[in-house]
Amino acid sequence: MAPKAPSSAAGQSVGTSPESEADDAELTRLIAACAARNSQALRQLYDRTAPQLLACMVRILKRRALAEEALQDVFVSIWQRAAQFESRRGRPRAWLMSIARYRAIDVLRAERAELYREAEVEQLPQLVTEGGSDWSGAGRSAAALSRCFELLTADQRRGIELAFVEGASHADIARATRQPLGTVKSWIRRGLASLRQCLER
Amino acid sequence: MKHDDPKLIDALAAEFVLGTLGGRARRRFERWRSREWHVERRVQAWEERLAGLALRLTPMRPSPHVWANIEKRIGATAGPGTRSTRSAPAAQPRTSMWRPLALAAVIVVVLVGGYVAWNVTQRLQLHTEAMIADAKAPTPAWRVEANRDVSRLRLVALGGAAPQAGKSFELWALPDNGGAPVSLGLMPDTGRLDRDLTEAQRLALRGASKIAVSLEPQGGSKTGLPTGPVLFVADRIKSA
Repeated sequence: MAPKAPSSAAGQSVGTSPESEADDAELTRLIAACAARNSQALRQLYDRTAPQLLACMVRILKRRALAEEALQDVFVSIWQRAAQFESRRGRPRAWLMSIARYRAIDVLRAERAELYREAEVEQLPQLVTEGGSDWSGAGRSAAALSRCFELLTADQRRGIELAFVEGASHADIARATRQPLGTVKSWIRRGLASLRQCLER
Repeated sequence: MKHDDPKLIDALAAEFVLGTLGGRARRRFERWRSREWHVERRVQAWEERLAGLALRLTPMRPSPHVWANIEKRIGATAGPGTRSTRSAPAAQPRTSMWRPLALAAVIVVVLVGGYVAWNVTQRLQLHTEAMIADAKAPTPAWRVEANRDVSRLRLVALGGAAPQAGKSFELWALPDNGGAPVSLGLMPDTGRLDRDLTEAQRLALRGASKIAVSLEPQGGSKTGLPTGPVLFVADRIKSA
């Protein structure tokens, strides 16, 4: 019986670094507790992961209010789907991040027209080092990925990054890079194929 | 068969995770993924491969109202195992008396709901009924899927049959008892078509181990029997 929440529940810092084994174990435990309908666990999961998920969603949606609304959907969805996580035995942060990204992408595609009319773009969360090679703080997922990312051509890298981080569609990337759609599609296809090959080695 | 090509599935999974698989293809893939474990596994692998890209973003703290809304939406204050730190601690015996009852009611609703949902999914779950293909053609013409009691068909054009101007492809059940073929409607030239069968069509299909596709005037046979050439005959895949 500890009525005082641990300091990490204050929400500011994440405590353990993302995707360390301790972090994975703790998140997995919290998700299992959510599956057992313990809403306190959802709160702790929220404290540990919401800032990161929100950053990713704001980066895609460009508007904080919209991203925060979508973030609510994400946590309701995590609450509802917590039991499914057990069967997949994956990395919890990747799972949570995916739920957040897919939600943001769906909202983006649905509200696209409106979003692009908005002139003001708020302060967006930055990559730790924009376009650079510093992947520290990005967890275990990043260790192998950063090495393999270096093997891609600059175009492939840029295309994949725009799609993943900004939620850009093929057409958006073509516009941003002033390249034909077919070229962009092939960058991405080839880029993904080389990533996979490299990561499987 | 196109849909079993692991390379293709993997490429689709990668673009799904990346977000560049869009529109209807995305929706379709989403359903596929939730049905097929091997597809889901590839999605998961890509989610884990690429997660590091977004984990590099500097975190942003959500506004306080976000959690308040989430809590409201999941009905957190009524759930078991909740130790709410913010609500007033004053004891309310009248409500707590009802709590076990309310909880029991919720459990019943969840169980019944779950059963109904399971039942509906079972009824709607599609399996492949038949592949309609010309043995010499590189691609099959259609895949015919059906739910368990074959009251619903999904017809998927795979590109192996070239549409002909002014003509339609029509699907037939060929009854095992030697009776006349029974029309199951037209085939899509492209894309996918879902169709609910009438009771008569359903029974005819259940009593048939073969189905056929004939070439008919546009809109289908006027006589109720095949009038044009029968282009394909396929065996229904026996399901348990």
